[in-house]
Amino acid sequence: MAQSHLARNERINGWAFVMPALILIGIFMIYPIIWSLWMSFQVGRGMQFSFGGLTNIIRLTQDPIFMRALTNTLIFLAIQVPIMLVLALLFANALNNPNIWGRGFFRTAIFLPCVTSLVAYSVTFKAMFAADGIINQMLMGLHIIGSPIPWLADPFWAKVVVIAAITWRWTGYNMIFYLAAMQNIDRSIYEAARIDGVPAWARFWYLTVPMLKPVILFTAVISTIGTLQLFDEPNLLTQGGPSDSTLTLSMYIYNLSFKFMPSFGYAATVSYVIVILVAILSFLQFLAVRDRRA
Amino acid sequence: MSNPLALIGRGATYVALSLAAFVSVFPFFWMVIGSTNTNADLIRGKATPGDALWRNIEVFFTSADLPRVVFNSFFIAGVGTVLTLLVSSLAGYGFEVFRSRTRERVFAVMLLMLSVPFAALMIPLFILMANLKLMNSYQAIILPSVASIFIIFYFRQATKAFPHELRDAARIDGLKEWQIFLFVYMPVMRSTYAAATIIVFMTHWNNYLWPLIVLQTNDMKTLPLVVATLSQGYTPDFAVVMVGSIFATLPTLIIFFLLQRRFVEGMLGAVK
Amino acid sequence: MSSNTTRRGFKLAGALAGISMLSISVAAAQQITVWCWDPNFNGATMEEAFSRYQAQHPDATIDIQVFDKAAMEQKLQAQLASGSTDGLPDIVLVEDYRAQKYLLSFPGAFEPLTGKIDYSAFAPYKVEVSTVDGQTYSMPFDSGVTGLFYRSDALAEAGYSAADLENITWDQLIEIGKGVKEKTGKTLLPIDPNASDLFRIMMQSAGSWYFDASGNPTIADNPVFKSTLETYQRLLTADITKPVAGWTEYTGSFTSGDTLATPTGVWMTATIKANPDQSGMWAVAPIPRLGDIDASVNASNLGGSSWYVLSSAPEKETAIDFLASVWGQDVDFYQKILVNQGALGSLLAAREGEAYQASDEFFGGEPVWQNFSTWLAEIPPVNYGIFTEEADAAVVAQIPAITGGGNIDEIVAQIDAQVRQQTQ
Repeated sequence: MAQSHLARNERINGWAFVMPALILIGIFMIYPIIWSLWMSFQVGRGMQFSFGGLTNIIRLTQDPIFMRALTNTLIFLAIQVPIMLVLALLFANALNNPNIWGRGFFRTAIFLPCVTSLVAYSVTFKAMFAADGIINQMLMGLHIIGSPIPWLADPFWAKVVVIAAITWRWTGYNMIFYLAAMQNIDRSIYEAARIDGVPAWARFWYLTVPMLKPVILFTAVISTIGTLQLFDEPNLLTQGGPSDSTLTLSMYIYNLSFKFMPSFGYAATVSYVIVILVAILSFLQFLAVRDRRA
Repeated sequence: MSNPLALIGRGATYVALSLAAFVSVFPFFWMVIGSTNTNADLIRGKATPGDALWRNIEVFFTSADLPRVVFNSFFIAGVGTVLTLLVSSLAGYGFEVFRSRTRERVFAVMLLMLSVPFAALMIPLFILMANLKLMNSYQAIILPSVASIFIIFYFRQATKAFPHELRDAARIDGLKEWQIFLFVYMPVMRSTYAAATIIVFMTHWNNYLWPLIVLQTNDMKTLPLVVATLSQGYTPDFAVVMVGSIFATLPTLIIFFLLQRRFVEGMLGAVK
Repeated sequence: MSSNTTRRGFKLAGALAGISMLSISVAAAQQITVWCWDPNFNGATMEEAFSRYQAQHPDATIDIQVFDKAAMEQKLQAQLASGSTDGLPDIVLVEDYRAQKYLLSFPGAFEPLTGKIDYSAFAPYKVEVSTVDGQTYSMPFDSGVTGLFYRSDALAEAGYSAADLENITWDQLIEIGKGVKEKTGKTLLPIDPNASDLFRIMMQSAGSWYFDASGNPTIADNPVFKSTLETYQRLLTADITKPVAGWTEYTGSFTSGDTLATPTGVWMTATIKANPDQSGMWAVAPIPRLGDIDASVNASNLGGSSWYVLSSAPEKETAIDFLASVWGQDVDFYQKILVNQGALGSLLAAREGEAYQASDEFFGGEPVWQNFSTWLAEIPPVNYGIFTEEADAAVVAQIPAITGGGNIDEIVAQIDAQVRQQTQ
């Protein structure tokens, strides 16, 4: 009797807590999502479209530009997300140490990139990576390279610049989540480990990281979604060039909807490619961090 | 206590942090320098402070009805942040603490919704707002982002660190579920709320594309829309853009600066 | 009792209706809403035009909303696609390259103005870009007539006079660039390897485009297109260009004296003149032509835009009347915007005005506006069609191959294949 009362209580509260959010999502998300799903089966241009069945999906497989955008996006994802999250975690760990002097300054400084205006940031990045820019001058001054690297004009280096730019902008952002989560760890555990002579790296690896797992999973999923929807950086720095080497799926969606003769249907189909990729990757990420004891 | 190895490690940490701080601050610093120069100097790549700051500020302040624009931005970001934190943390807590198979499925579907690019949702959302007669209103901007799946997900993950014992103890003390949320969970999770406040405020404050589409009159415009207008055209005055950008950055920065102190207090300290 | 309340209810409803009618009529007191994208250029000219109209029509008012260009296009397209006309402006500025795309994507969204505006008074190529099925939709605004802006001081130093740049081919320009490099060590042109500007300029100078009048790709087997790519290749491999990334670096390059010339649209004048310390050091020559194409002339176009009236516009009649009476015929107005905004309109009669005849000390005392208007009348009309952006993307993707010295026939075939795939 008491058991069922508790279960009922749980059930009611369970829905009560999530209901305001679900109602709002129901109003503002369901219709747009159904509309876009329906659009993804429409063919035609501008406002003249008709049901095309699988035409858009067939078009995807025959579209070399889509393939290029997909490949670029996945390369960005595979390289950039791990680098950024590891950096963010290391910075958060260093700045969570009460013995580090000037933590407030460092935290603010590393957070600064994600609030710096896109205009200022794209202009400085382009200037820094110009053929006669400061990066080349430095590298040549240190005799690391003999001749200037054509950062933005070469398909390989342009990708490197875009990866550097995203990492620059979003590392501090991810660091905030880790810093906040570190406050929720009981400090006495660290003290005990320290007194037992556990070295700093081992405390980080065996204590901090496992306890941050849920938030690490969160940042991994969010960054995956963010990178799959990557638009600002390549749009501002390289416009997707040279030779489409930094063209992303989101830029292609934008081009299909607003730059080219609008094909909203096909653009929606490409959008759902991103959704499917997120579904697969998030599933793998959830699987990877799943508590093995459970 | 401090052995040579630890000292080297400490030194390396400072070097790495200083390097990261320098790289991070540089474009911001450049933006500040740029705001003091004339546009012509800025485009030529002048990297030393100039004396055009007041003139640039003056031009920026006359480029739009700034008090109105700043009010719009603060109103939307302020109301939006409070509502988002409330609705989304409730849901995040709810999904984590009260588990059921149905709600897990709902949650999974929500995560997928989060990954639909906004470009695909913009047009139907616009149709929806037109039908709800909400065009050109604050509600049209605030309401769609109040139930932020992103923040719900964040709170859900952060709640995993919320000790069960606290909740059980509160229940034994006879607290109702909403009281537990309000009087136990919220104070304990202060650092999570601090991080979420920074992120949510920043998202609302910088929101650009949706306000652009749904706002129709000059008296409803927000700061990012005004700054974006400045940086376009055939002969944009980038020095004024820099002033506008700094202006548009400050509120988020101040909020970050005030709230980052929360990141030095442990959670349990708040409970004891 | 009940009928009483009903009656009172009616009264109340009537009063409410009266209030709402009142507010509607206040809001709709002939206010024309305009969307455009440059407060100092098209926004300012629109304001000037309207102040002239208002002098005759005191109750008309205007609300000019300025956006950034890409954002405005996105807003317009999203709204047209939604089918909801609430909040659309009366008049919108559209870039000429995009006109056909909008007119064909959103049939019925724009109001045809044929018969309401005398199009014979405008530069023919401007009329051509906004004509679909014999109906013309635009009020032609600024021209993108091109010229070769160059630093006359630096070129004189290298031994080149204005006469040496008069009516030359691109290959002659390459030779000049080499000579300048040799004598001064300076680079002649900044080139953005992600931009298609030069291709557009070269093609239109020969009256050709990526597509023919009926919209079929004219890329393979088009001697003009092939010559354009070959010329671009020679230009980029001659060591007289400097790569720049994006607008700021591009304009910064020639306004700082780092590079010495740029072939571009007349609207660049304001950017160049924003550096008063360089007054007298600049000159404008006619745009070079393609040497091996007979049809190519020393006149072309880059950019430019026109005003369009929305069919759904609440103040449609006022908007059309305003455009036709000021933009359609006021020669004095065109003098004013030329002087104040550097806006070169497309009304041919405006050429006879005083401002157009004046010489400009900044450009060494030459009558640059007179020259630009002469070239304006010579621009070969082309139909940009609906797929210009798609074709541009295909060309830009091949720029590294072109500058890397690739085989032009193969590159043309690649571009042709991509354009056909993207426009099927």
